[in-house]
Amino acid sequence: MPLADLEFEVTDRVVIAHVDGEIDMSNAHELENAFSLRMTNDALGLVVDLRKVDYLDSAGIHLLYALRERLDNRGQQLRLVVGTEAAISEALRIADVTRTVGAFETIDAARQSITS
Amino acid sequence: MHLDDPQTAQEPLPRAGEGQIFLGTAGAPPLGEGAEQLLHVYRLNELELSDLGLDELLDELLDRTREILNADTVAILLLDDERHELVARAAKGLEEEVRRGVRVPLGGGFAGRIAAERTPIYIAEVARADIVNPILREKGLRSMLGVPLIVEGRAIGVLHVGTLAHREFTNEDAALLQLVAARAAPAIERARVAEAFEREHLGAVALQRSLLPEGTPAVAGVEIATQYLPARDLVGGDWYDVIELPRGRVGIAIGDVAGHGVQAAALMGQLRTGLRAYALEGHAPGETLKRVDRLMHTIRGQGMATAAYAVVEPESGALRYASAGHLPPLLVTASGGARLLDVQPAPPLGTLPYGMYVDVETELQPGDTIVLYTDGLIERRTEAITAGLERLREAADISTSAFVLCQHLVERLVEEGAGQDDVAIVALRSLPLGPKMRVRLPASPNVLAHVRRLLRRWLHAHGATPAEVASLTLAAGEACANAVEHAYAPRPATFELEASHSDGLVTVIVRDGGRWREPRGEHRGRGLSMIAAVVDEVDVRTSDAGTEVVMRKRLGV
Repeated sequence: MPLADLEFEVTDRVVIAHVDGEIDMSNAHELENAFSLRMTNDALGLVVDLRKVDYLDSAGIHLLYALRERLDNRGQQLRLVVGTEAAISEALRIADVTRTVGAFETIDAARQSITS
Repeated sequence: MHLDDPQTAQEPLPRAGEGQIFLGTAGAPPLGEGAEQLLHVYRLNELELSDLGLDELLDELLDRTREILNADTVAILLLDDERHELVARAAKGLEEEVRRGVRVPLGGGFAGRIAAERTPIYIAEVARADIVNPILREKGLRSMLGVPLIVEGRAIGVLHVGTLAHREFTNEDAALLQLVAARAAPAIERARVAEAFEREHLGAVALQRSLLPEGTPAVAGVEIATQYLPARDLVGGDWYDVIELPRGRVGIAIGDVAGHGVQAAALMGQLRTGLRAYALEGHAPGETLKRVDRLMHTIRGQGMATAAYAVVEPESGALRYASAGHLPPLLVTASGGARLLDVQPAPPLGTLPYGMYVDVETELQPGDTIVLYTDGLIERRTEAITAGLERLREAADISTSAFVLCQHLVERLVEEGAGQDDVAIVALRSLPLGPKMRVRLPASPNVLAHVRRLLRRWLHAHGATPAEVASLTLAAGEACANAVEHAYAPRPATFELEASHSDGLVTVIVRDGGRWREPRGEHRGRGLSMIAAVVDEVDVRTSDAGTEVVMRKRLGV
């Protein structure tokens, strides 16, 4: 049983990744690779939907910062979608991910912040 | 002396085909010099032959026939009813016939005509006869004599002898061979039926085995045990499954396809796979059964099956189950009492269009066990099913592991010498929880999710709120990840997690054999600060023996 399931969709040249499960050091690296593989050159950015993620620790934080750096180098943007009462919101807040990467409550808000 | 088939024995036989001489066997053959041969024939005692398997029986028979008739070759062909062909099954001096799997159409050639016409045939000169099987010529056979093997007026095969030198087979020879055939045919038929049955049975057992899961997955916070006892004679369609689901949940399923044999086993395999696939898509038990029901309606030659499926969330103890006409699940409580769980009545799978299966929700307390089982465990021919259920409830009145419970139920309920029906049991026990939890695990990234689930379950049972569970799990998860990251080869490393609770204060300790090190890299040195931010107090103690991270948090603040 994989720790997290992953599904992609593309809207308005923005790749949206829905993650469902947990993120720790056992799967963070493969998730990062899976995100990168889906980022075509014409994509404007990536929205990672973390609303169904119920565990994320420093390995996940590292993944998000590394992902932002990788996308930055290609001129692509990263946004997160996090539920208001999410179990992971504390970890994101402590690591300042919410402010530095940019977290939204809905997919649409996150996508529009890239396209507008 | 008499012959078992007077028709064949006494009717004068027509001539047919050049080189063939048909022998009538009318009249009793003179005894005289044949007396000793006859003695051999009588030694082909049916009782003696009946104990042999088909191969041994044929082997024995061929040896004796060759001896009695003083022939160079002897062969037995048996009728393949479905293909209307005779198949060479055993031979002496003509082994290639068997090895090459020679088949002769019923009615064609030497053997084919013997079987079709149920009559003996003598061939004086093979070279000039109408022969289908080339091996007979290749072998250089000159003369042949064959008789049908007849059971209840029906030809089941042909027994024939041959000689390399020209031989005038006499009426006595033909009568002797017929006598051998008459004695041997019923024994051959019995052995053949037994062999076919055995083959079907073994095939079905192997099939059923291959369709059942091998071993059970390790799921945090629960112990799962299964038992499967195949029926002695007929293979049944019982199945069970244990399905690991996302987020540490686990599904257990049981089912019973009506009927026996290969078909029941094959349908069982399809239903088990179907149920597993729908379960993995995340459907609730009732919805899962509904989809299996719809699937079953699309399977050609579908039958009927009962099934039950339950999903357990070990962290909270939530239990949800549904039944499709299956026996009610059994709940064995931590204290040892047992009761049958309520089920929403619903038809078996594959019976009615639009079968609906409703979920029942309840809770599994730490130490409780849920047992799914098939009717082979409780049914006895002479009693009502309610009596069987009551015996099950009484037998299950013990507090023990799921494994021991399964053994115990089989010992108490499956009668000596039973085995009319197969028995499947799957038991899932929510592991008991004490005030203190201590686990030691290999230092591998793959166990991190497992240890988090154990801790969440323990915290939930000790009254922590979801936010408190999340904080303490994050802190402990970081400490465990650190222990795993710094476990150096070559020695196999382990780490330990200990959680205790007293007066509202939870203490979680993670110990390993290495030193605390923040991972390298700009953004990675945040494990310890993460822990410090979510618990009240963190203390990292390093010694030569290793690192101990002690984390404390007061609940309900």
